[in-house]
Amino acid sequence: MTVTDINESGQTRRDFIKRFSVWAAASAGILASLSLIRQFIPRFSRQQKRFKIGRKNNYPLNSYTYLPERQLFVYRDHEGVRAVSAVCTHLGCIIEKSDEGFQCPCHGSCYNEDGEVVSGAATKDLPWFELNKDVDGQIVVDQGRIAGPGQKLYI
Amino acid sequence: MAATITEDNRRKLGRINKNFFLHIHAGKVHPNSLRPDYTFGLGIILGFLFLIMILTGVILLINYTPSVERAYNSVKDIMFVVPGGRYIRNIHRWAAHGMVLVSFLHLIRVFYTGGYLKGRSQNWIFGVVILFLVMFMNFSGYLLPWDQLAFWAVTIGSNIAASFRELTDILGITQVLDIGGFIRSLLLGDDTVGQAALSRFFMLHVVFLPVTLMVFVGLHFWRIRKDGGISRPQSEGAKVNKLYSWPLVMWAELAILMGTAAVLLAMAFLFDAPLREEANPAFAENPAKSPWYFLGIQELVSYSAFAGGVVIPVLFLVFLISVPYVDREEKYIGIWFSGPQGRRITWQSIAFTGIVTLALVIIIIRYGWLNTWIPGIPRFVVMLVNPATLSALAYVLWSLWVNRQTGSGRMRTMAMFTCTMTAFIIFTVIGIWFRGPNWEFYWSAAQWPVF
Repeated sequence: MTVTDINESGQTRRDFIKRFSVWAAASAGILASLSLIRQFIPRFSRQQKRFKIGRKNNYPLNSYTYLPERQLFVYRDHEGVRAVSAVCTHLGCIIEKSDEGFQCPCHGSCYNEDGEVVSGAATKDLPWFELNKDVDGQIVVDQGRIAGPGQKLYI
Repeated sequence: MAATITEDNRRKLGRINKNFFLHIHAGKVHPNSLRPDYTFGLGIILGFLFLIMILTGVILLINYTPSVERAYNSVKDIMFVVPGGRYIRNIHRWAAHGMVLVSFLHLIRVFYTGGYLKGRSQNWIFGVVILFLVMFMNFSGYLLPWDQLAFWAVTIGSNIAASFRELTDILGITQVLDIGGFIRSLLLGDDTVGQAALSRFFMLHVVFLPVTLMVFVGLHFWRIRKDGGISRPQSEGAKVNKLYSWPLVMWAELAILMGTAAVLLAMAFLFDAPLREEANPAFAENPAKSPWYFLGIQELVSYSAFAGGVVIPVLFLVFLISVPYVDREEKYIGIWFSGPQGRRITWQSIAFTGIVTLALVIIIIRYGWLNTWIPGIPRFVVMLVNPATLSALAYVLWSLWVNRQTGSGRMRTMAMFTCTMTAFIIFTVIGIWFRGPNWEFYWSAAQWPVF
């Protein structure tokens, strides 16, 4: 043993350098992988949250119209227009209009006409989205803003 | 006793040791390791299936394009244009299904013969990891054809991962700490299944998971050698003479390889791998069914997404990993069911699970569940109390009771394992044959309504 420097706790200089370099390498590795993990987290979504769905006359009175490319049901009555999500809150399948409301084909969750869960494994009600009218007269759906089932765009 | 090593024996050892691909074997094996009624050769079948998967996978990669626009059509090309493409795809498909099936059979074989005992606990855990990797391999490969089946299976699967939200919603912390959404965005790279998801799943299926699987298969084989060959029945009496691996083991393995290949080629010739309509995010198939090995879990998530899709599978995984630590009796290695007592416990557990689980399923199918009986019941009650969680609770109570009756760690573990396996089979059978449109119960597919 050539190393003679020993501190109070009986640690040699070599022990200290060994331990120090292991910890330095480990923390450098952890920090580097933390910064790399950020590459796996998407920074943006290709999905549009706000979009136009045409004028109210596109939608027949007192019925639900399904917009396939937006996965929305649009309901129009004589007072105005409402829009509800067609994506089941259970596991994301596309629900279908049934006589009593909506039904999911994948695991059988049922919703009433207001989008509230009636039966099945879904735990959340279907979200209704806020609607606005653009200057060109088209209806704008904002999926980032949730409205109540009774909230209509009066037009 | 020092048996003199003859020139012939030296040659036999050399045939194994001097060949890179064969030196994975020991030079000599215990005769009990070769008993076909003990191992059924399941592990080696899995090894060969994995090799076949890699070979056919590489061939498929030549013509496959992982883009949303081209994926479906490139698989169609493989099916209808590329010479022999359909056959290779079929082999890939049935080998994948075979891997899931044989992995479970291998798990069951190793469990009931006590193959995890005597220092083999580490290899048991490697085995559980391999089982998980095989399932994930299948799940990630499922998206690549980009047909309706693929799209909706992965939509459902990623939303199962996101069902952590049901828990965080109850705690009211989803806004701050959205674990479910985070896991889903890691998997999909977006809010919904799209190009980002396809790229990620392609990477997982073609690079990350196969390489990880190879590493763990290597570890699995290495541990077998380190643990002194595969676990085997203890031989009575005096020391047995070990057999030379060359050429005995080679013949046995060649026979298994031929058998596996024959079954696969016949399956691929007779049954085509399905390819449905191109993925359409606007309409789900009705019923949207996952591949058969996930239908048990699909049945569970139809009760509650979080309880059935996250809690129960995680508990099952934890149980599997804990097996060598719950059962520390180093007895009866290599004896099926550890003898008559274990055989009786196994039958009782099957009967118990059959009665309890079927009763719960019949109740929910015929009479509905809490949320249909008491409208407005808080939804987390259904999340906590449903056929999935209740039957899991029943199995725990049953194995505790078995533990009290027998006082044996082996028996309680065997009771629990038998219960979970039986339940897995029951739920899978219901999912495959008795669920139709809107996930409603039908006695047969002939009764499904026509739309």
